[in-house]
Amino acid sequence: LPTRLITTFSGTVGLVLKIAFLSIVNALSIWAGVVLIDHNKWRAVAVLIAATAAIDAIYLVKRWTLPLKFLVPGTVFLLAFQVIPVVYTVNVAFTNYSTGHILSRSEAIANIQQNSLTEAANGASYSMTLLRDKDHNLVLALLDEDSGKTFIGTEAGLQPLPRDRVELNIDGAIASVQGYSPLKGSEFATIDKELSGYKVPVGGGKAIRPQGFDTAVVLEPTYRYNQRTNTFVRIKDGVVFRDNGRGSYVAATGDEIEPGWKTYIGLRNFSRLVHSKLIRDPFLKVLVWTLFFATSVVFLSFALGLLLAIALNKPGLRFQRTYRVLLVIPYAVPAFLSLLVWQGLLNDDFGVVNRIFHTSIPWLFDPWWARVSVIFVSVWLTVPYFFLVSLGALQSIPRELTEAAQVDGGGAMQVFRKVTLPLLLVAVAPLMIASFAFNFNNFNNIYLLTQGGPALGDSPIAGATDILISYTYKIAFTAGKGQDYGLATAIGILIFFIVATISAVSFSRTKALENLA
Amino acid sequence: VSTREAELTAPVAAERRRKKGPSLADTWWRHAIALCAVVVSLFPVAYIVSAAFNGNNSLTGSSLIPKQVTFDNFRSLFQGQKNVTGHATFQNAHYLSWFANSMIVAGATALCTVLLSALAAYAFSRFRFKGRRLGMLSLLLIQMFPQLLAIVAIYLIVFRVGDIFHFIGLNTLLALIVVYLGGAMGVNTWLMKGFFDTIPAELDESARVDGATPAQVFWGVVLPLAAPVLAVITLISFITTLNEFAIASVILQTQTKFTLPVGLFQYINQAYSEHWGPFAAGVLIAAVPAALLFAFLQRYIVEGLTSGAVKG
Repeated sequence: LPTRLITTFSGTVGLVLKIAFLSIVNALSIWAGVVLIDHNKWRAVAVLIAATAAIDAIYLVKRWTLPLKFLVPGTVFLLAFQVIPVVYTVNVAFTNYSTGHILSRSEAIANIQQNSLTEAANGASYSMTLLRDKDHNLVLALLDEDSGKTFIGTEAGLQPLPRDRVELNIDGAIASVQGYSPLKGSEFATIDKELSGYKVPVGGGKAIRPQGFDTAVVLEPTYRYNQRTNTFVRIKDGVVFRDNGRGSYVAATGDEIEPGWKTYIGLRNFSRLVHSKLIRDPFLKVLVWTLFFATSVVFLSFALGLLLAIALNKPGLRFQRTYRVLLVIPYAVPAFLSLLVWQGLLNDDFGVVNRIFHTSIPWLFDPWWARVSVIFVSVWLTVPYFFLVSLGALQSIPRELTEAAQVDGGGAMQVFRKVTLPLLLVAVAPLMIASFAFNFNNFNNIYLLTQGGPALGDSPIAGATDILISYTYKIAFTAGKGQDYGLATAIGILIFFIVATISAVSFSRTKALENLA
Repeated sequence: VSTREAELTAPVAAERRRKKGPSLADTWWRHAIALCAVVVSLFPVAYIVSAAFNGNNSLTGSSLIPKQVTFDNFRSLFQGQKNVTGHATFQNAHYLSWFANSMIVAGATALCTVLLSALAAYAFSRFRFKGRRLGMLSLLLIQMFPQLLAIVAIYLIVFRVGDIFHFIGLNTLLALIVVYLGGAMGVNTWLMKGFFDTIPAELDESARVDGATPAQVFWGVVLPLAAPVLAVITLISFITTLNEFAIASVILQTQTKFTLPVGLFQYINQAYSEHWGPFAAGVLIAAVPAALLFAFLQRYIVEGLTSGAVKG
């Protein structure tokens, strides 16, 4: 086979493949470049050109780029979806990126000017009829309810409408206007969207805006922006709102204008974790539970796995192979399926577990039972792994060592504690650390069983079984009060340092263990 | 990831010569422990099989031995099921979409992962170049920061890229696949490089003498010899991807785009007792691909684990 493959890939075929690959890459990047230019993303265009040129050079130059030819494909993905996300995570952690702080500052100012409107103090209110002009543009036929005057309002402005061109209906509203056609019934289903941004400017920053389908009122901006001092003034009482440096315009009274904008706020996300009671208390609870969860899952699983391994590690034991296969079956089932099944089995109303034991324990809905359940199911998932690992390690311990210890008069327990266990730990300890790091961030085990719940009384987000990573996920994606990307990424970075520190310390400990043994 | 890999690379028990079995009097406690463990570990498996074939699809009515074996649950999984008011309670087309999406995403990710990391591992194993050590070390360091921790950044990046390139934005399978490929190198490259190092360099040298280019040596000599480790990494990558919930749930947003974890999760959380029967059937079917893959690749996996060296 190898020789056949070599001849297939030699000469013209190889060359054709290479040319095809490079042409596709170049075609794709030219197309992407055109699209990016359309969107005025000049920095992205520059990166794209540089990257494409580099790839072309690497694959066309003969000799010294040889290793790069093999490294580039994976590296492209590594950079785009591993390195850049990490860098971006650090970046976002120093911003206030969150619901209400999504826009850039200039967008936020424009948004405030556009959308924060109040009814003008002495503005008229109109009864409104929707019409189409000859070019099928939407216009508003307006009847001033006080003076009885009629107008045609367009996005260009307000024009008087002579009464003789207007026909009123019995309610006194405008029924039709000469030269304009009424809306068809089918159009009302989709007219909402067209109306929502519709305004008829009437000078002085004021505008007539539709309210529902048949009335319109004069609205004026709530705030006036002063570009020179970079402040907003609330028009009705003259209160000044200043840029607070953290992405919002805030008055001396603490009032804040929505929306704010995205900006760098230094270490504030991290200091919130320390100083803000509302964030610190749930965070600490979650941190303690995370540590407890990961530690107890690893140790319980190891203990049970080892017990099983010891029980089955007996030469000539009957059914040994059968036991081994049966015990590993759950491990061959993808974990997410087992988790979802357990969630069903533990259901308090319908769950099988409660019916077998004739109990009605709220396995997943009481804070303490939920913690017990989460640990139990995680141990259930992890035991087969430690069973296999321990069995392998036990069988690799030279028989002479244990026999020698027995000859020296050691009891079974003593031999196990002084000889077998230390030797076993040398092999298994690194795997336990890896398993700890894995369980520390075992999002699935928590989220697929309890979604972090049940809720704790004092926090809108953190639940009794939330570990740090599920807590982060909820802060960023599911929180009812809005999403806080800045805080979520800050916690993500903390998780990294916690896991890295614990792993580093324990790995150096296991080195020590190795020296002892 | 790490636990599964560690398990698969752990030493497998040496087959011992069978002696005459020890007497039951000495070993009853071993059997007792093993039987307890088997019952606990197989109980959910047994229950889901029974629920899948049980005629009564509500959770309350199910008992371990089905009163009558039916395929109703499988039928309603694919065709939808009517409740009292006559509305289909299970959007029939969706399970198939979830299944197909999962296979596409996990399959594509696994294959590309193997290819990308094999290419890199070959470079690290066979060439001596400046920055080789640094490259391998930084791979290891970068991988210390799991993608899951960067989930917010990944979401924001996909969101913003999708504004311009819709085909790779939110709610596309392609976006999910390329995101997963970001984690393709790292551990896998290390694992494979270790294996490639055990393939004797004389083999490629003789091919080189015969006039083969490095690319030809890679495709023609090294890859075929590395089949066991490729199989192991395909399997690990496939199962890891299949299991991934968090990133998939953030990127995929509509029913027809969901993968199995996201789809089944919200399905069973919706109308729990009603959905239990079809859910069990769905779980059973979803477990098949991983099991099949395991069975097919078993030969390679055992080989890859035990030998470590290459037979000519």
